[in-house]
Amino acid sequence: MKTAGWVLAEKVQRIAESKTFEVRSDELPTWCPGCGYFGIHHGLNMCIRRLGVPLHMVVTVSGIGCAGRYPFFSETYGLHTLHGRALPVATGVKLAHPDLTVYAVGGDGDGLAIGGGHFAHVARRNVDINFLLFDNSIYGLTKGQPSPSSPVGTKTKASPMGTVDKPLNATLLALTYGASFVARLFAGDPNTITESLMEGTRHRGFSFFHIYTTCVTFDKQFKTWDNLKKWVHPLPDDHDPTDRRQAFDQVLEDDFSVGVLFKTENPES
Amino acid sequence: MSKVDVTVEVCGMAGDGTIAAGGLLNEAMSEGGFSVLGFDSYPAEIRGFGRCVTRSRIGTNEILALDEWTHVLISLDDAQSRSRIPGLAENSSVFFDNNPPVYVRERDSLAARVEPGTALYGMPLADLAARAAGTERGRNMTALGGFAAVFGVPEELFHKVITRKFQPKGAKILEANLHSFQAGYEYALEHFSDRIRPIFRPPAKPEGREKVMLSGNLAIGRAAIDAGLKLYFGYPITPATPIMEYLAAKLPETGGRLVQMEDEIASIGAVLGSFYAGKRAMTATSGPGFALMTELITHGVMAEIPAVILNAQRGGPATGLPTKTEQSDLHAAVFGGPGDSCRIVIAPTNVAECYHYTLKSFQLAEKYQTPVIVLTDFYLDNRVENLSVPRAGSEETADWNIYPDESSKGDYKRYALTESGISPRSIPGADGFSFSATGLEHVEKGTPSYSPENHMQMSEKRHRKIRNALADLPAPMESSPEGDLEVGVIGWGSTVGSVLEAVHSARERGHRVGALKITSLFPFHEGVIRDFMAKCREILIPELNFEGQLANLIGYLHTKDVVRFNRATGVPIAPSTILREIEALIQAGGR
Repeated sequence: MKTAGWVLAEKVQRIAESKTFEVRSDELPTWCPGCGYFGIHHGLNMCIRRLGVPLHMVVTVSGIGCAGRYPFFSETYGLHTLHGRALPVATGVKLAHPDLTVYAVGGDGDGLAIGGGHFAHVARRNVDINFLLFDNSIYGLTKGQPSPSSPVGTKTKASPMGTVDKPLNATLLALTYGASFVARLFAGDPNTITESLMEGTRHRGFSFFHIYTTCVTFDKQFKTWDNLKKWVHPLPDDHDPTDRRQAFDQVLEDDFSVGVLFKTENPES
Repeated sequence: MSKVDVTVEVCGMAGDGTIAAGGLLNEAMSEGGFSVLGFDSYPAEIRGFGRCVTRSRIGTNEILALDEWTHVLISLDDAQSRSRIPGLAENSSVFFDNNPPVYVRERDSLAARVEPGTALYGMPLADLAARAAGTERGRNMTALGGFAAVFGVPEELFHKVITRKFQPKGAKILEANLHSFQAGYEYALEHFSDRIRPIFRPPAKPEGREKVMLSGNLAIGRAAIDAGLKLYFGYPITPATPIMEYLAAKLPETGGRLVQMEDEIASIGAVLGSFYAGKRAMTATSGPGFALMTELITHGVMAEIPAVILNAQRGGPATGLPTKTEQSDLHAAVFGGPGDSCRIVIAPTNVAECYHYTLKSFQLAEKYQTPVIVLTDFYLDNRVENLSVPRAGSEETADWNIYPDESSKGDYKRYALTESGISPRSIPGADGFSFSATGLEHVEKGTPSYSPENHMQMSEKRHRKIRNALADLPAPMESSPEGDLEVGVIGWGSTVGSVLEAVHSARERGHRVGALKITSLFPFHEGVIRDFMAKCREILIPELNFEGQLANLIGYLHTKDVVRFNRATGVPIAPSTILREIEALIQAGGR
């Protein structure tokens, strides 16, 4: 019998194979069939289309990893940088040409390991860029090693006895760094991704999107479609995204609630 | 006016006003029409041993470098100045405080320690200043007054520069400094009347344009502003920080912005992002920061994104000698980073070139779509020279960007294979010209490709482009008599001034010696260098590093081994030192 996760994977794959939206480039994504990134790709494409931003006014900046390939699959301007360096390069792009809409995309290795140092500073400078962190808790492009967000006990070829280091929580970091817009999302729900991305893109200042996704090839253990489908749920209806303390409480108590956790137009306060 | 070539040092404890006095001395002598080159030395630690020394060479001929010996020492603190005694020339003059605020035992005093034959000018500096201005703080000015009186520097010159410096601080402070200076001036006239040596009188008339005292760092900062810099990204590091501090004050006036980034990696990253989006940006760093930048520099090479990176070299490796000078990042600048990552490397040799080459680096970066590395070093960044006010010519600010034409719209190939290797570059915002820049090997469209033919072809394109840049790069400058030479000296960077002076002196002594100055270090003018080498019996390459990095780079162009003169001392090579090497080579050849 097909599991719920399997159904979801198929749905995402159908989206991937459809070519009904113009933001996508002719270049076929190199991601594995069923990859969660297709859902994010669709979410961002729909966001750009619905916002009506001309494609030549959008720059997608990426680092290295499966997510790093993103710019090639989009009709916007693209800048595929080095491992971990999407954020400082995106900062330069935005400051040089403030009329551009800038998306920085990267994986958990890019954003939390090699480029982790930049994350804090782009948040505290509140540069008006949008950072999408594709968090599948695995290094996929290098064929399956643990990442800084891998749960303790993650078994890979590089950690045959399971990992022992505690995982980083990207959402918690973003709140701590003072990001002025923080959302947590799920690759299996492209519609919510689109909604949140639209809100975050309109937000003046740094917007952070922590997107749970899966690596269908190298993670059979934790963040599988089946598990994510089971774990992920919307934020409580009464969540007030203007209350930073409430956002912290929410993130500390619940790892898998998704939606816009926090936003402020006045990050100094 | 007879020929003058005098080196003056001011030495004191931190807080004595040593650097201020040295600076005013430079300004005054520059006002008087002399050629001036100054270089200060200070410790890496904030307090450290507290010793401050300024060194100025003042002359009627153009001064290109500091030399070995000091002729006049102005001491504001004997305990510190004793360390300068070994550097004093024969028959030098020493000014000192003979009733200093801090007690000095007689046997520790300068007067007790200098060589016989030294002219001693003891003055009660603190007392004179206190009597004239009510505070001892102006004793550095009092010492300058003594210097001016004894060596015949017109007092108006000092009045002018003291006024320029202190007027902004209010009438009271200005008066105090002027009075302190005057007290020293009059004291010296009265007490040393039989020992006045007016070598600096009458003043040389300044010729042509107005002159300014400018450091290499300041010249670079000014050039960046004149180049229309929009964004500066940097991280503090000695000796490049003054550039950032200058631009922090100036950039907002011209509509630019400065961001102090979290590290050097972020700095170069943001510079690349800015150029990608069509705006001029730069970063300045030193060896350790440059090392962090190398990976992204090669990204600029691969993705063909312009960048301007200034590497103000200091002693290395690692943290090395942060406040000492060295030319040991040449290999890193030319070859640093993964892969066949050819880029443009230029090295100015004096303050004027710091200005003009910085301007040029932006044009080169944009035309050839590549990172351009400007190599300076501590000695060049922090030396001050008096020079005609540098101004950007219209050809220096011309836009060298090559944009795609309308016909390629819709089918735009960002990395089109062209004869020159330059592919017209579109800027985000241009409709119909979007592309993705990448550090992966790519085809003309910009999409990744690992095919053998493509990698070979694209590598060739990038190298062809850089080779073609030679046409826009400053050619080596030769200073030689006609015909064959006994010794040819090749210099680069801050060492060139010493090379030129040494070669000039050698010729005055009747030797057939020539010099070649190389400012384009990659790509470099192989033909010109080879021709020069071919007519020299010996090639001497003096460098401020241990490995002989320029010799490693160009030595193969000579038919026999070049003679390396490598100094890893952290201090500039003096012209007289190079002259000795030249004469030794000539003697060895004559046997």
